[in-house]
Amino acid sequence: MADVVLGIETSCDETSAAVLVGGGASSAPPPPPELASLIILSQDIHKVFGGVVPELASRAHLAALPAVVDRALAEAGIAWSAVDAVAVTQGPGLVGALLVGVVYAKALAYAGDRRLIGVHHLEGHLFAPAVEDPHLAPPFVALLVSGGHTLLLDVPAWGRYRLLGATRDDAAGEAFDKIATLLGLGYPGGPAIERLAREGEPARFTFPRPMRDEGFEFSFSGLKTAVLHAVRASDDLDRDRPHIARAFQDAVLDVLVTKLERAVRVTGHRIAVLGGGVACSRALAELAAQRLAGTARVAVASPRLNADNAAMIARAGWWRLAQGEESDWTLDARADLPLPGLDVGAPFPHSTFRTPHSP
Amino acid sequence: MSGRWLAIDTATDIASVAVGTGATVLAGTHAQGARRHAAEILRLVDFVLTRAAARLADLDGIVLGDGPGSFTGLRIGWATAKGLAQEKGLEVRAVPSLLAAAAGAAVRLGAVPIAACFDALRGQVYGAVYVIHADRVETLVAPAVVTVTELARLTPVQPQLVVGDGAVRYAGDVSAWVSAAPVPLDQLPLAATTLLALVERAGAARLIDDLATAEPVYGRPAEAQARWEARHGRPLPDPSRPAR
Repeated sequence: MADVVLGIETSCDETSAAVLVGGGASSAPPPPPELASLIILSQDIHKVFGGVVPELASRAHLAALPAVVDRALAEAGIAWSAVDAVAVTQGPGLVGALLVGVVYAKALAYAGDRRLIGVHHLEGHLFAPAVEDPHLAPPFVALLVSGGHTLLLDVPAWGRYRLLGATRDDAAGEAFDKIATLLGLGYPGGPAIERLAREGEPARFTFPRPMRDEGFEFSFSGLKTAVLHAVRASDDLDRDRPHIARAFQDAVLDVLVTKLERAVRVTGHRIAVLGGGVACSRALAELAAQRLAGTARVAVASPRLNADNAAMIARAGWWRLAQGEESDWTLDARADLPLPGLDVGAPFPHSTFRTPHSP
Repeated sequence: MSGRWLAIDTATDIASVAVGTGATVLAGTHAQGARRHAAEILRLVDFVLTRAAARLADLDGIVLGDGPGSFTGLRIGWATAKGLAQEKGLEVRAVPSLLAAAAGAAVRLGAVPIAACFDALRGQVYGAVYVIHADRVETLVAPAVVTVTELARLTPVQPQLVVGDGAVRYAGDVSAWVSAAPVPLDQLPLAATTLLALVERAGAARLIDDLATAEPVYGRPAEAQARWEARHGRPLPDPSRPAR
């Protein structure tokens, strides 16, 4: 059992390090570790480009990572000699960005004769709420929504994941970014749309809810096109912008939460985990809590743990290390790393996927 | 009395690592194929340290290929050095990768002008020209992104040899400049062993004062950055904001 785990995350445009301190091996099973520090350095430069530039992200990670790690150790009050293990995001993500973190983590582990564990980024997101809520444990359903992913998972146990559904085209966060650009709101789109949507009236525009009433899969490209038509048809976009933002957000959240409800009903689980950058949206968490009230508890981490961060990587790595797993010096970054323990077979008959009457 | 250094070079298709004291190589190894660099680099480090019966703590420092070269390759070497050196505060020095290639040829030719050219795509090379003396390095043309023809124009004396994958790729332009056939990298001594020979030689290495924030010499900005700067006529703003 690793007592002190240093986590490192560089899969996209956040350079992050975190320190988790465990309760020691004196009790069995060992108590969950506690977060001692978390540093996140966001690369603002990508706002200029309206999206992440992989080469710039990779360069910025290399220039920032050691100082971010130093600061994480300093804030935790942990000396290098006390660090037992290094957990690092192995993938998926931007391969050049991942490589910086993976190689640097390997060297840190080698230099201090530490254990090393490569972590799947999405497994990190699944563990994110457990960083703050040590008693959170499967079984639960999880909705992971970010700029790169929209996944609905059945999680009967840590390390065992059944894919219920994924997006057929854009990820939800990607749709937010694209609509924000369309509305002239800048990057990243989610927070900008949520802010503007608060000023919007819900009934001024109505957009389709693609695939809401069947199955667990998602599709946001049709919705995106509908918003594009509305923007083009507007004779006063300054007037309509908040209302369009509100209607778009309502449509996306309705689809996400309807499918989450369906997953809770089909699995019978009493916990629904929200994770990923889009889970920073208060509107999503509030809608999920409202619609699942009395059915399931909604577990959602605080925003800094829902964004890409090293605390969730350290937490997932801590669990993998506790299972006796370890990576060797040949650990390599993989942009398309498959989620370990993922079962993609259809777990339920298709008829259970349909919603007889939509909320 | 020379110190004991760990040398790492990942600027090209050949990743090489060595341990030694100046001209004496205690252990050296390499891996060919850029896609293998990240997976292999720590194994290479472990191999040479074990073979040389050396520990990181015993080293005087780490010497790195400084670039220019493959962007990703350079980051792999630099991320390795940062991770190895950070905890123990090891000294890190960087030697231009083109100089390492030229010095590889100088082992045989001695103190004569030697040009090194790495392929920079789009008809250009990362090019430089050096004279490697026994106790110092003379830089005739500092590393630049140029065509072979432009490099020839910039060079005050005719080199005896041109080395590197850029020289091989643009062999026609090289033959109009230098009579000797271009020498590919895989016919030179490993770059890491050459770094060992250069690390303490005057004019060869730069000391990395602030390892945490230091970056290799990429040779070129990212393409998106170059386009943005050309369009706006000013440098890209600072890429990061304070940590939270």
